[in-house]
Order: sequence, then structure tokens, then C-alpha cells
Amino acid sequence: MSIMALRLLLGIIFLTVVFLHLTKKNSGAVIAYSVQSLAIVLVLFNSFLETGRVSLLFVTLLAFVVKVILAPLFFVRLIKKNGLRFSVSTYLNIPLTLIIIAAITAMAHSQKLAPLVNIVPANHALLSLALSAMFLSLGLIINRKGALSQIIGILSFENSIIVFAVFAGLEQSPALQAGIMFDLFVWLVIATVFMSMIYRHFGSLDVTSMRHLKD
Amino acid sequence: MELPIILTSFLVSALIGISVRHRRLIEASSIAASAVAFVESILVSLKVASSGSYVPFSFFYVDSLGAIVMLIIACVGLAVAVYSVEYLRQETAKGIIGLTRVRQYFVLMDLFIAAMFLAVTAGSPIVTWISIEATTLSTAFLISFYNKPSAMEAAWKYLIINSIGLLLGFFGTLLYFIPLTSLQGSGFVSWQLLAANTAHFDPLIAKIAFVFVLIGYWTKAGLVPMHTWLPDAHSKAPAPISALLSGVLLNVAFIMVLRFKNITDAVVGVSFSRNFLILFGVISMLVAALIILTQTNYKRLLAYSSIENMGIVSLGFGFGGIGAFAAILHMIYHALIKSTLFLSAGTVLLKYSSTKIARVTGVLAALTVTGILFLTAFLFITGTPPFGIFLTKIFILSAGIKTHPAVVLVALFSMVVLFVGFFKHVTAMSFGKTPEGIKAGEGSVWLVVPPLALIAAASYLSFHVPGFLFALINGAAAHY
Repeated sequence: MSIMALRLLLGIIFLTVVFLHLTKKNSGAVIAYSVQSLAIVLVLFNSFLETGRVSLLFVTLLAFVVKVILAPLFFVRLIKKNGLRFSVSTYLNIPLTLIIIAAITAMAHSQKLAPLVNIVPANHALLSLALSAMFLSLGLIINRKGALSQIIGILSFENSIIVFAVFAGLEQSPALQAGIMFDLFVWLVIATVFMSMIYRHFGSLDVTSMRHLKD
Repeated sequence: MELPIILTSFLVSALIGISVRHRRLIEASSIAASAVAFVESILVSLKVASSGSYVPFSFFYVDSLGAIVMLIIACVGLAVAVYSVEYLRQETAKGIIGLTRVRQYFVLMDLFIAAMFLAVTAGSPIVTWISIEATTLSTAFLISFYNKPSAMEAAWKYLIINSIGLLLGFFGTLLYFIPLTSLQGSGFVSWQLLAANTAHFDPLIAKIAFVFVLIGYWTKAGLVPMHTWLPDAHSKAPAPISALLSGVLLNVAFIMVLRFKNITDAVVGVSFSRNFLILFGVISMLVAALIILTQTNYKRLLAYSSIENMGIVSLGFGFGGIGAFAAILHMIYHALIKSTLFLSAGTVLLKYSSTKIARVTGVLAALTVTGILFLTAFLFITGTPPFGIFLTKIFILSAGIKTHPAVVLVALFSMVVLFVGFFKHVTAMSFGKTPEGIKAGEGSVWLVVPPLALIAAASYLSFHVPGFLFALINGAAAHY
């Protein structure tokens, strides 16, 4: 895959995080996460094409099944089951969120973080963008009041770390990647079950409605 | 073969819990798995004490500190398994839980203990990370075990905060692999390989990586300011699980920071990481001490005491030298005593059906043995002489008095405040009139034996440390 194609994929990943910040609909967030995950899978597939190792193809397929198929499926079922069309609000309004997004992106491109993005000098721009996506995903988890948005934020954060690792040449052995993917799958199942339980207990996925731990 | 046997025994026990509906068999298999792990851990520790480390296959690696934490997991794990049987039987008798919950409890507890064993014995930092993440996943449902809104809230907080922390830790871990990029994708990067390749590590990246790892694993270790999940989770989980969370899991997470500290120190020198340990250690102590003063829930009180004690351990490793030696001893004492306190608290909860301090009075009259255990453990954990924690605190403070006098003063102040706060609550619970309707008498001898065994072990270690354990502590402290 050409460097331009990889840049395009990373650009898509970055834009999906920005979209996750702005969207008000849960279905929009799930679609954005699916697109982001598909971009990650294509980046992983590129690693397979470059090395030709079948084990990497297995990891790519695993990532495709967990991130692109199962995760969105779990979320869509949760949304349908509980009628969660709109996500709960954010702590910051849209203009402020956009300012924070710009500031975080600038920070990720600043000289202070140059050692991190110069790990592979040829991928400087790609690593800066991956780092921006990481920080923006963290911001998403903090800024959102909805449990589903927080979960998608964590998954997006994990995607950003993976893409950073790929472009920094820090990919793990396929066995370990498969282990991480299995871990992620179990995490996903548990998080989805918890969201259902939270909805049952609190009648909402708004985490600010949880106020039972005041003693 | 010791390490595969330990892991297999817990997995078999978990499988029995999943597939069998016979309660006694589930209980017996869980105790048997813990007993096997206890014996095998002692065997591994003896090997590490004699040869410095134990690497049976390339997948496993146990150093002195790892062996000590293995022993902690094994001791507390066995006590908790035995205690859990009677604790859950009494809860079933009260109609709080049914057989499904009991099965769920033992399966998750077995997986939790197995994950902790794997975390401290894994040869690869990534496998270690996966194991620590697995501890989060296995305990999330144990924290929400009683299915109450407050427990759900605590579990959600635990899941989200720890997942974020661990992802930050994962990113930091990956950064440590930079000097080994030629091996990436195919090789199995071990702790030893990381330590052997520090010469090629950019100091600036090493510092950044350490900060990420520190935030990540310290979130799990419950140090301030990433501690917010800990009092909620530890107070909402069933008491035996709280004992494992407070007494064991915090240490498991903490030693991961120490392993990365060694690698970072080899690149940038010791002062960088030590300053972090000292700063966050003393802040944790101070914050926990001040919050304890106003606590109204005795399980939360114990949870905050854990934060304070992890702060003391952090301070010890930050000061280094004799401070590190004392910190390791402190880790052992804290694990045994905090588990005693949580198990005793569980017995108190069974009797009084409340975790509110205001509703629990006259424990010494209602539960004489448990009351004495609770009081003695309180004296032990707050550093009252002649118990071991008194000495470890003295050693840690004396290690830093010359170089960091202000920090030592703040730490000393925190210890005094904590003692006063803890004393106020414990005396209020221990003495006074027993509420109406509370009948005197221990529920069962099996609610007393496990905490009694733990406090007896800690008391014994206060006056005599066996040769192999001394060698392990010495071997571990030499690296810090």
C-alpha cells in the first residue's frame, strides 16, 4: 500500500475521532467507530502484505471480526433494545469542544512531543496524527456523559494506540496480538453487559445519574 | 512445572464451577486449587531464594520480588478461599445470594487469582499487561456482585478508570520496546531482554514511557490522584474479594511499576523515577489520612488505609537503600494485615448487616474473637510497636530523613493523623453497647481461622523472618 493510502487511512481514523466528539446520535457514534476500525484493519492488512506472514493475516481477520463486526453489533443491539437513539450530552459545548480538539491536535504536533513522533522519522506526520487521535480519544472519554460514548472512546483510544504502534514499528508478535484481541473481546462483552445493567438500574446511560456512592 | 500447575489448578477449579452445580464440590475445588498454589509458590520461592531467579520456560520469569508477591498471593488466596466458603454459606442462609451467585463467585475468584499469578510470573511485559487487564475483567462482576445501584456504580467506575489507566500503561509499555524494533513482530520480548538493551534507549523516550507506565499501573495500584475508584470498589465487593483487591492486587500492580523503574533507571539514572515515587507516595499518604478522619463506612476506611500504605511503600522505594528493604517488608505485612482486617470486617458485616460505622457498636461484646482480631490488626497496620509495621515505617522514614526532611515530616504528620482517625472509628465500633437484636457469638470457627492465621503469620514475621524469605527480600531490595 502506498504511503498516500496509509495517510488517507490515518486521516480517516483522525476524522472519525473528531466526528465522535461532535455526533449527538448513538448510531452515528457506532458507525464512526466501525469506519475507524475498518481503517485499522486495512492498516493491519497492509502489515500482512508487507511481510507476507500468514499469522498476521489471522490477527487481521480476528481484528475484523471483533472490531468491525462484533463490537458494532453489540452496540446496535443495545441501542435497539433500550431505545437509545440519542447519546447523552457532553460537559463542554460544541464550540468549546472544537477549540479543545484544535488545541490537542496542536499539542500532539508540538516540539515537546517530538521524541515520540520521531521514533521512525519517515513516519513523522503519521505518528503525529496517531498521537492526536490518542489524545482526542482520551478527551472524548472525559467529555462525554454517556456510558456508550465512554466505551466507544476507550475503544477508539485502543485503536489509536494500535495504529501508533504499527507506524512506530512496535507491533507485537502475532500470538501476543491475538492475546490482546481476545482480551479486548472479553472487555467488550463485559462492558456491553454492564451498560445493559446500568440502564436497568438507572433508566439511563447518563453516568451523571449515578449518585449512590456518596458515603 | 510449578507455574503451569498453579495456573492449571485454578483453571480446572473455574471449569468445575462453570460445569457443576454441586456446591460442596465447587467450594472444595477452589480451596484445593489455592492449596496447590500455596505449596507450589513456596517451592518456587525456595528456588528463587537459592538461585536469584527462576525461568522454567521462556514464557515465565520469576525474580525475587516476583517470588515474594507470589507468596503473598498464595497466602492470602488460600485464606480467602477458606473464608469465602463459610462467608457465602452465611449469606445464602440469610437469603442474600443463591447458588448461581455462589458459582459465579468462585469461578471469577479463581480466574482473578490465576490472572494475578500469571501477571507476576509472565516473562513478557505484554503478557503481564494482558494478565493485569484480566484481573480487571474478572473482578468487575465481583464488585457488582450484590447487584445494587451503588455496587453497579462502583464497578462501572472501576472498569472505566482502570481500562483507561491500563491503556496508558500499554502505550508506555510499547514505548519501552523501541530499542528492540528489529525484534518486533516476531520475537518474544522478555523483561530480561528489555533490561539488557537499555544502552540503545533514548533517555527522553525512556522518561515519557515511564510516566505513561506509572500512570497506567498506579491507577491499578490505587495511588493518588488515580485512586478514586478504589474506595468505592473495595467497599462494594464481597469482603473476601476486598481482601484480595486491597491486600494482593495493589502489590501486583505496584511491582510492575518497579520493574519498569529498573529499566528506566538504567537509562536516565535513579533520581527521575525516585522523585515520582516520593512525590506521589507522600501525597497518597496525606490525602488518605485526611479522608479517613471523616469516614462513615468501615470498609471504605480500610480502603483508604490501603492507599496510605501503598503511599508508604512508594516512599520506601523512592528513598531507596534500607527504605526499599523496609518497603518490601511493609508490602508483606500490609498484605497479611489488610486481608485480616477485611475478613474481620466481613464477619462484622454478617453480624450487623451494615457497613456504617455509626450502626456498628460493641463488636468486642458481640464478636469477641473477631473484635480482638480487628483491634490487633488496627494496631498492627497503624504501626504500633512491637508489630512489624512500626519498624518498617521507622526504617523508611530514617532512609529519607537526610535527603528529604520535609517529605519525612509530612509523612510523619500523615501517619499521626491516620492513627487518630482510625483509632476514633475503631474504638467507636469495638466498644459501647451492642445494638438490640444482635446476638453475641461468632458465626462459625471458619470465619475466625483464616484471619487468625494471617495475623499470626504477620506477627511471626514481625519478630523472625525465615532465611529464604530474608534472601528474597535482600535480593529484591538490592535492585532498588
